[in-house]
Amino acid sequence: MPEEPDIELSFRGGRLVSALPIALFIAWAIFQSGILGIGDTTGLVAGMLTGLIVGLLFVRGDWKDYADVIFAGMTRRVAATAVVAWLWAGMFAETIQVGGFVDGLVWAATVLNVGPGLFPAVTFLLAALLATGIGTGYGTAIAFTSLVFPAGLLLGANPVLLFGAILSGAVFGDNLAPVSDTTIVSAVTQDADIGGVVASRVKYAVVAAALAIAAYLVAGFGIPGVWGGMPHVDVAGEVSASVSPWGLVHLLDIALVIVLAVRGRHIIEAVSWGLLLAAAFNVALGAANLVDVSAGSMLLFSAPQNGLTQAVEALPLLGAVVETVPAGQVGVGGSVYSGAAGFFPLIVLTLLLVAGAEIMRAGGGFDAIQELVIDRVATTVRRAETTMVVGTALVNATVTINTAAEIAIAPYIATLGKRFNINGYRRANILDANTSALGYIFPWGGGLLAGYGAMQGLVGGEATPWFTAEMLVNPASVFPYVFHGWFLVAVFLFAAWTGYGREYVSDRTSEEVSRV
Amino acid sequence: MSRLDKLLAGWTFRTATPTFEPGEVITAYVSERNGDGLTVRIGDSVIRVEDGGDAAVEDKVRLEVTSFDATNHVGTGDVVELLGPDA
Repeated sequence: MPEEPDIELSFRGGRLVSALPIALFIAWAIFQSGILGIGDTTGLVAGMLTGLIVGLLFVRGDWKDYADVIFAGMTRRVAATAVVAWLWAGMFAETIQVGGFVDGLVWAATVLNVGPGLFPAVTFLLAALLATGIGTGYGTAIAFTSLVFPAGLLLGANPVLLFGAILSGAVFGDNLAPVSDTTIVSAVTQDADIGGVVASRVKYAVVAAALAIAAYLVAGFGIPGVWGGMPHVDVAGEVSASVSPWGLVHLLDIALVIVLAVRGRHIIEAVSWGLLLAAAFNVALGAANLVDVSAGSMLLFSAPQNGLTQAVEALPLLGAVVETVPAGQVGVGGSVYSGAAGFFPLIVLTLLLVAGAEIMRAGGGFDAIQELVIDRVATTVRRAETTMVVGTALVNATVTINTAAEIAIAPYIATLGKRFNINGYRRANILDANTSALGYIFPWGGGLLAGYGAMQGLVGGEATPWFTAEMLVNPASVFPYVFHGWFLVAVFLFAAWTGYGREYVSDRTSEEVSRV
Repeated sequence: MSRLDKLLAGWTFRTATPTFEPGEVITAYVSERNGDGLTVRIGDSVIRVEDGGDAAVEDKVRLEVTSFDATNHVGTGDVVELLGPDA
């Protein structure tokens, strides 16, 4: 990872003041989404911008240094990685969606008799499988919210529970997948080999997942799916008998992405191939009249009516993605456009948040917290491990892109763990499990907002014309239902206290890091 | 270590105060350095080393345990080899 030369910042009021931009952002996020119930990501961007400006006022010395730290943070590779995952996953998921995949899922669920009660549990399992295969929980959250979420609503499943199940599956994959960013960061920073880290974390993930499945079954059958007064009541249960199974051919392009990712191809390459195959299927399905889709569903230039545009519209091939419209409706559309555009606010927010975390590092905020914790709190191995769990959770509350949060806290986990000779595998597991979990639980977390971004794309979407803005799940209401995330944190608190799974450096030396 | 061994390792409840036998050679990180001596904590068990040589905090060392009191979880040891900090 390319590291900028580290600039140090000094703040009026001490090192902890360097946390001010992020603290203000969190307060803003709680006020906006928690209290006022406004799930608007661009609103959070305004909050982070405000935080960065207020933080500037407390800098001692040259304000240019503060600006340089913002730049250093925004250009970190980890931010770019998240941006890439969202853009590609967004295009891919939306392209599959216009290709009738949601209808295909509804058809399959009806044939297999998966009712609204069972649907969340099944969704959790499938999302966990996909996320473990492709190694990106963000991509999984986007794909499943675009595709499986609307299918579940049509079948009458509870929307909040279903969104929670999708995020839970993403947590599982981020935690366990060998190709996940967070898995790799956890292994590398704790001097452990990736294979050994993955093998050693099965004992925690399996316990949490078993509890989560049980919880989704109980909640799925216990909580009413859709009841009177909910905006979904009109669409739920009205599954047309004529839904087409043909959209399920897109399982092939999803499989292609998984196979390529597992074979170690870069996520850009893997998803690009999947996208091309999906586009080819869409054109073929549309041409054969099996699904109502065309090249224009994926990319459409809606041009003002004049001689030139009408001539272009009449052209072969190119004319398929151009239409002429009245002046008020001019624009570009289609799944490639809207799939990517849905994530623009989140991308800007991410870049600013990573900048905020960099300011906290440069201003010594993380160091100040660590010294406090090591000297006063972590005085026994149990308390040290508990501190590692809680500390990882707190950093994830501030740095909401979970890979970035993990990079920020990793050196402290290493220092604290080595003090009690906690094995590298165990340290990596504590670090990664809680990072993966909390990144999808906090309402302002990147994973949760990625899913929410995909959900916003459903409003008035070509494949989901029935989905209205009233059906959006407020990000602040889903966190209690991310069962796998909660159970994973609980398993680690239990493990810290009882010694379940604990290993010392003297018990087993982790092998060399095989991949950086 | 085979993959299966890796998968099956650690499915236990490990004590906070592991015990060691005199003569046992273990690998561990140095937890504290005070004066010439080192403190190595393995969980809540403590092994003290009187002459720590050049070993610093967070350095990995090979340590020969010379005595261990299993009741109070404290012991003594000598540094056999200084492995240094992690890369």
